[in-house]
Amino acid sequence: MNKTLLKYLALVIAALTTFSCESVKPYQRVYLNDLEMRPGQPGARSFEESVQVYREGASGGGSSKISGGCGCN
Amino acid sequence: MKKRYVIIGLLAAALTSSGQRLDSAYKKQTLSKTDVQVLFSYYTQDNDHSAVTGGIGTENLQVYAPQISIDHQPDSFNTIHIDGGVDIISSASTDNIDFVVSSASKVDARSHINIGYNRLLHDKQNRLGGNVSYSIESDYTSRGGALTWSKTNADQTREISANVQVFFDDLRWGRFEGGKPIKLIYPSELRAQEWFDSYKRNSFNFSFGIYQTINRRMSLGIYPGVSYQSGELATPFHRVYFADDSKRVENLPGSRLKIPIGIQLNSFLGSRWILRSYYRFYWDDFGMLAHTFSIESPMKVIRVLTFTPFIRLYTQSKADYFKPYKLHDINQEFYTSDYDLSEFTSYKTGLGIRYAPFNTQHRVTFKEVELRYAYYKRSDGLQAHMITAYFSFSSQKKRK
Repeated sequence: MNKTLLKYLALVIAALTTFSCESVKPYQRVYLNDLEMRPGQPGARSFEESVQVYREGASGGGSSKISGGCGCN
Repeated sequence: MKKRYVIIGLLAAALTSSGQRLDSAYKKQTLSKTDVQVLFSYYTQDNDHSAVTGGIGTENLQVYAPQISIDHQPDSFNTIHIDGGVDIISSASTDNIDFVVSSASKVDARSHINIGYNRLLHDKQNRLGGNVSYSIESDYTSRGGALTWSKTNADQTREISANVQVFFDDLRWGRFEGGKPIKLIYPSELRAQEWFDSYKRNSFNFSFGIYQTINRRMSLGIYPGVSYQSGELATPFHRVYFADDSKRVENLPGSRLKIPIGIQLNSFLGSRWILRSYYRFYWDDFGMLAHTFSIESPMKVIRVLTFTPFIRLYTQSKADYFKPYKLHDINQEFYTSDYDLSEFTSYKTGLGIRYAPFNTQHRVTFKEVELRYAYYKRSDGLQAHMITAYFSFSSQKKRK
């Protein structure tokens, strides 16, 4: 694997994980609790995720399906 | 005298009145809740790079995929999950396994079921769960199982999760004909020889998740994973044509290690606009390196109606074992002409429309309906259309 790419990736992860986070009270969660803010691939998106696993070499990383199943058609 | 009457009156009132009746003490009630999601999906694709015919020939395919998912919570600690569905697959390329084109296309069905249970522990921070799954189609059977754990911190701003998943797959045909799997099916002209010893494919997936609330409008998810597959990873009815005009069945190494990591940042901008951004890095030991970028932008036209335009860009390098039709050397150990493993870029774009009315909780409540269309195009020429309709209902009742 490309070492430079790995270094950049580590840097991005480090930058993202060292975000300063605010404390959010339960009554302040109106935006976070919105249906469109749900993490992952909720609702109608899940079928497209399955198709992409079959039609592309890559999978995983938060998608519902990482391997298993045929997809040989 | 008057003063005495007032005192007696107050005393009598104090003795006879009471703030709470003894039998009206607060009783904690348990609510039982059931969520039902129904999904109808349609997929169609076309191109001329079918792996069944060695990287040439039709890839015309249609899939109808109805699915239902039910989550039942008898109380606030336990959740029982079941989902299942049938994918009806109409594939022109599968018809070319024997080159006897009896109809416009070969029709197959994939049935799948998944049953799970998870429990919130008494500390109300840790959740443990597991599930088993089974899927079957004419050339494939898959048994799966998974264990999950997640922990939410006290103020619910961070969740850490881990998931271990296994699949045990059987690549033999025959279950739909005689009830028992018989053998691997090779292309008709290559059946004089038994190409593979094994018909099993095992997958072991480890995935992790860190979900962090950054502020009252922004959340971040990081999803690293490791996946290891072993067994027969080639598809027995995929042909490969070599430069010297000879022909063989696709052959791939007996193991594959995949490492993906996904990062998702969701932000609520203003009062009606949301930005869902996602990036995934992927590497595997077949020699593939892939990057995925996607942006979705849900906009609340009115409070109950959301329009979601989206775009997804994807790029992958080719697997070490891929070459197009008649470009493989006969001395290679591993070879495939499956364009899913070729070098390409792809994009997907489309629109989702979601209607989620405000409802007071009835016995059965309609929660949301979402319609979504996506157009997918790959740089090797493959084009696909995906249409999905999603319905969500909820039922709630008091338990005695």
